[in-house]
Amino acid sequence: MPSGESDAQSQPGASSVRYEETTKRYPGAGAPAVDKLTLEVPAGEICVLVGPSGCGKTTAMRMVNRTVEITSGDVLIGEHSVRDREPAQLRREIGYVIQQIGLFPHRTITENIGAVPQLLGWDKGRIRQRSAELLELIGLDPELGDRYPAQLSGGQQQRVGVARALAADPLVMLMDEPFGAIDPINRERLQNEFLRLQAEIRKTVLFVTHDIDEAIKMGDRIAVMREGGRVEQYATPAELLMAPANEFVEDFVGADRALKRLALMRVGDINLWEAPLAHVGQATAEVRTKLAAPDVEVPYALLVDSERRPLGWLTERDLAGDTVPRQADSPLGPVLEQDDVMRDALADLLQGESQYAPVIDHQGRIAGVLSVEIISEFLASPEAKTDEHTAAERPHG
Amino acid sequence: MGSPLVLAAGEVGGDFFRERDVGDLCQAQSGHLFCWDWAKENLDRYGTPTVQHLEIVLISVLVGFVVAFALALIAHRTRWLQPPLLTATGLLYTIPSIAFFFLLIPLTGFGRDTAIIVLAAYTLQIIYRNTILGLNNVPSSVKDAARGMGFTDRQILWKVELPLAIPEIIAGLRVAVVSTIAIATLVVFINAGGLGTQIYGEGNLTFPTTVIIAMAIVMGMALLFDLVLLTVQRLTTPWRRVRQA
Repeated sequence: MPSGESDAQSQPGASSVRYEETTKRYPGAGAPAVDKLTLEVPAGEICVLVGPSGCGKTTAMRMVNRTVEITSGDVLIGEHSVRDREPAQLRREIGYVIQQIGLFPHRTITENIGAVPQLLGWDKGRIRQRSAELLELIGLDPELGDRYPAQLSGGQQQRVGVARALAADPLVMLMDEPFGAIDPINRERLQNEFLRLQAEIRKTVLFVTHDIDEAIKMGDRIAVMREGGRVEQYATPAELLMAPANEFVEDFVGADRALKRLALMRVGDINLWEAPLAHVGQATAEVRTKLAAPDVEVPYALLVDSERRPLGWLTERDLAGDTVPRQADSPLGPVLEQDDVMRDALADLLQGESQYAPVIDHQGRIAGVLSVEIISEFLASPEAKTDEHTAAERPHG
Repeated sequence: MGSPLVLAAGEVGGDFFRERDVGDLCQAQSGHLFCWDWAKENLDRYGTPTVQHLEIVLISVLVGFVVAFALALIAHRTRWLQPPLLTATGLLYTIPSIAFFFLLIPLTGFGRDTAIIVLAAYTLQIIYRNTILGLNNVPSSVKDAARGMGFTDRQILWKVELPLAIPEIIAGLRVAVVSTIAIATLVVFINAGGLGTQIYGEGNLTFPTTVIIAMAIVMGMALLFDLVLLTVQRLTTPWRRVRQA
C-alpha cells in the first residue's frame, strides 16, 4: 500500500531539545545527579553528552523521555514540555537505542522493528512495509526479517536496534552508548553507517558516550560533562579540540588532541605541495631544471602518464639518461585521495615509510603532494587553532 | 495394621473385595506378580476411577495455577512479597499429605472438595516459584528498551515478560501435573475416589495385579500430560529453537 510510505515520510522530521535548569535529585542522595542543566540541541543535529562515568550524562538523556523523572526544571521538545505528556505516549515519539540493544528475543526482526508502530495502532500491512523499508535503510537482507534476534550477529542486532528506534519516525533519538558493546572494527563501521544514515534522515540525536574519540567523530556538538551534570564546555568538535574551555576539558580531551584534530580534516582541506612532474620520453634536462628551481617543495620528480595520473617517483638513476624512462625506479608508495581523512592519511604516510605521498582527485589525476612536514606545520600554526571551516567540512562517513 | 489408612481404605474399597473371587482365575499360577487373565477380564473396572482421577488432577492443577499465578503477579509488582510468599507456599508443600487430608476433614468433610484443596495447595509452590523465576529471568535490557519505547507496565508484563517466562512457567506446570497425578492416588483415603481405589486394599498385598494396572495408568497419564505440556511449550516458544548465529 503506497499510503503507508507517504504517511511515514510526511511526518515532521526533527525537533529541537531544550533543557531548562533541568535537575534530578535521587531520594537519599546528597548532591543532585544532574543540577540545573541548561542546554539547547538544535533540530537535526547530533549532540553528544560525554564525560566520565557518574557525571550524570545518562540521567540527563533519560529525562528527555522521562525514563528518569525530572525533579525540577523542564525539558522541551520543540515548544512542548515533556512534563505535560503521558510518559508512554511521549516515549513512542522518541527513538531509544541502548548499549545492550534489548531486542525482544521472542519476536522476529520484522516484529521488533514494528514494535512502536504496533503500539501506535498502525495496521499490519503498513507495519510490515515500514519494517521492510527500514531493513533496507540499514542495509540488512530483507530475508533476515523473519529471523529471531538470537540468529543475528551483534552488529546486525545493533543495526536492528537503530531501525526499531526509527520505525515511527521519531522527532528525537536517544542513544545511550549505542556502539559500546560492539568490537572495535564493527563499531567503526556502525558509526560510519549511522553518520551516513543521519545525513539522510537528519534527526535530532542525543548521544551518550564516555569515549571522547567517539564523541568527536559522531557529534555536531559535544557537551563535556562532569559530576552533577555540569556542562564544562558545549562546542563543536573542532572548537573543543582547539580551545578547551578549562583544565577539566583539556584533560578529558587528552594530550593527543592535536592528533585528534586530524580526524576532523580531509586531505583536500589543506594546502598541498606541488611536485615537479615528468612525462615518459621527456628530456631529463627539463626535469633537472625543475628540480633545481629555488622554490621547489618536493625534491623528487613524479612520473605521470598523459592523463596526469601518477606512476612513480624518479630517482637519480632514472634521470641519468637523456629522456625520462617508461618505468620509474622508485615505487609510488601510498597514494591518497582528496577525500581521505587527514588522520588516516598520516597513518598511511607513516606506515608506508614515505615522506611524500601523491594526492589524486576523483579522476585519479595528481592534485598535489602531502608530506609529514605539511601536517606538522599545520598543527603548529596559529591558523589551525582558529580555522573554523574544518568543523563544517569534517567527514561524515 | 490397625492404622486409619487401612480402615479408610476398607471403607471405600468395599466393592473391590466383592470381586476377589475372580482372583481364582490365577490360582493355578499363584506366586506370579501379574495375572493377565484377570487383567483382561477386569479392565473395565478402571474406567470410572481413571476419569475421577483425571478430573481431580485437572481441577486441582487449574485452581493451583490460577492462585499461584495471581500470587506471582502480585509479588512481581510488590517485590518484598516474594520471599514471604515463597516461604508460605513452601510450608504448605511440607505438610504430609495424609495429615493435610485429615486436618481438613472437620472443615470440608470427606470427598472431592477436600482432595482438590490439598492437591491445589501442593502445586502452589512449584508454579509460583517458576513463574517468579521466569519473570525475573527476563533481561533487564529488554524491559528497559520496552519501557523506553513506550510500552506501559501492563504491556511490558503481557507482551514481553510473560511470553519470555513461558518456558519456566510450563516447566513448573509439568512438575505440578506429574506430582499431582501421583499424589492423587491418596485421595481414596478421604473418599474422593480416583485410581487410588484400585491400589489400596487389604487383599492387594497378596494380589498385586490390580496395583500394577493402576500404577501403569497413573504413570501413563503422567507421561502423556508431560508430553502434552512439552509440546505446548515448544509451540509457544519458537524463538527458543532457532540456532544461534
